[in-house]
Amino acid sequence: MISLYIAQKSWLHRLSAGIKLLFLAAISLLLYPVEQPSVLLLFLIATLLAYATVGYAALRQLLALKTLLPLFALIFLLQWWSVGFAPAALLVMRMLTLILLANLITLTTRMDDMMDAVMPLFAPLRLLKIETRRIAFAVTLLIRFIPVLMAVVNHLLDAWKARGGGRKLWRLVIPLTIQSIRLSDSVAEALAARGGISSPLTQDQLHQKGSFR
Amino acid sequence: MSSEFSASGSIVFDQVSLSRNAHPVLHDLCLQLNERRIGLIGHNGSGKSSLVRLINGLLQPDSGNIDVHGRSPRSGPEKMSAHVGFIFQNPDHQIIFPTVEEELSFGLMNQGVSKKEARQQVADILAKHQRSDWADKAVHSLSDGQKQLVCILSVLLMQPGVMILDEPFSALDLPTRYQLMDLLSQLPQQLLMISHELDTLETFERIIWLEQGQVFQDGPPDQVLPAYQAAARRLQTL
Repeated sequence: MISLYIAQKSWLHRLSAGIKLLFLAAISLLLYPVEQPSVLLLFLIATLLAYATVGYAALRQLLALKTLLPLFALIFLLQWWSVGFAPAALLVMRMLTLILLANLITLTTRMDDMMDAVMPLFAPLRLLKIETRRIAFAVTLLIRFIPVLMAVVNHLLDAWKARGGGRKLWRLVIPLTIQSIRLSDSVAEALAARGGISSPLTQDQLHQKGSFR
Repeated sequence: MSSEFSASGSIVFDQVSLSRNAHPVLHDLCLQLNERRIGLIGHNGSGKSSLVRLINGLLQPDSGNIDVHGRSPRSGPEKMSAHVGFIFQNPDHQIIFPTVEEELSFGLMNQGVSKKEARQQVADILAKHQRSDWADKAVHSLSDGQKQLVCILSVLLMQPGVMILDEPFSALDLPTRYQLMDLLSQLPQQLLMISHELDTLETFERIIWLEQGQVFQDGPPDQVLPAYQAAARRLQTL
């Protein structure tokens, strides 16, 4: 599941993306000097409670973090060995809290709202003549097409297995590449047929100047 | 709305020739399309897809002129998108955004509609089609038929005068095809559809049968479709 967004209405969904991201930044700074494990534990519990207020779908996403546990265990052990038990526990709790909060924002913020909130930060790039909307667009496209490409991989794998393909799976790289290029051709065509990506930029700018129509 | 809505115009091909990768695809094609429901048939490689891509400027002719409801596709597909809606075969190659609402508002925002207004129009069209709960849905969670409906709605929102459908139902089951066909048949737009499912075209006003880049037969469905079917049975293509 790449598109993590949970389609529902919760209080967190209603909060604007900018406020959520600012809150995350503030909490990150706030947690940094905290030395008492009990305080951090409180933050961690509050974070988990926030998941609960969003609902069952959000809580279920916590299971997805299972894959991160070995990594956390490793960091904890290394820190314990190098700086001691208490600082290791602090570090892991701080990291866990922040990752969970960031993940919660991903779960409750739509892609385009997130982009609208983040895009002003890229404004300096415009001085270098880089079209920031294109960056936003590329991110959106990537998120949209990962499940599509996964389906292509699965189809190829099925076709491979159905004919007794064997273990030399690397040989699928070339057909996968060819299919991806074909896919990108079709997407480019569909994109052009609906007005392309260059026009929204110019039209938005025209809107801002109030001279459009 | 930047496109003035007209379903009464016609599409004119005047001595149009096109080659792709040095292969001639269409040769000296002359056509006047006035009917509201037009089906395009022909074997693979007969030039159907190229012909419809000339209408919205995705392809440009080598020679000849094309007029689409008073506009020239020479202005390119971006400009033509407000007047010609295009539905492709595979919705997965056409849907660009992760959620339904973003997908539907994209074309509108390209036309200069503000984000707020675009979202309102999206909510309206979803409500009109009893799909209000779809706005926040992830497109990859939809079925193929539902995805194709999203594609159709996203094009309809742009209020084009012409809708082009390039084998839109080839991956869909029969009930889904019937439902989408019901929806399409009620549209005021001029419809130009490529299809291999001949029964879908039976209610159309005019069928054009292309063969090697030229019009082979042109007439009402009760004449052209049976002739096409009979020819297809005789033909050795493998």
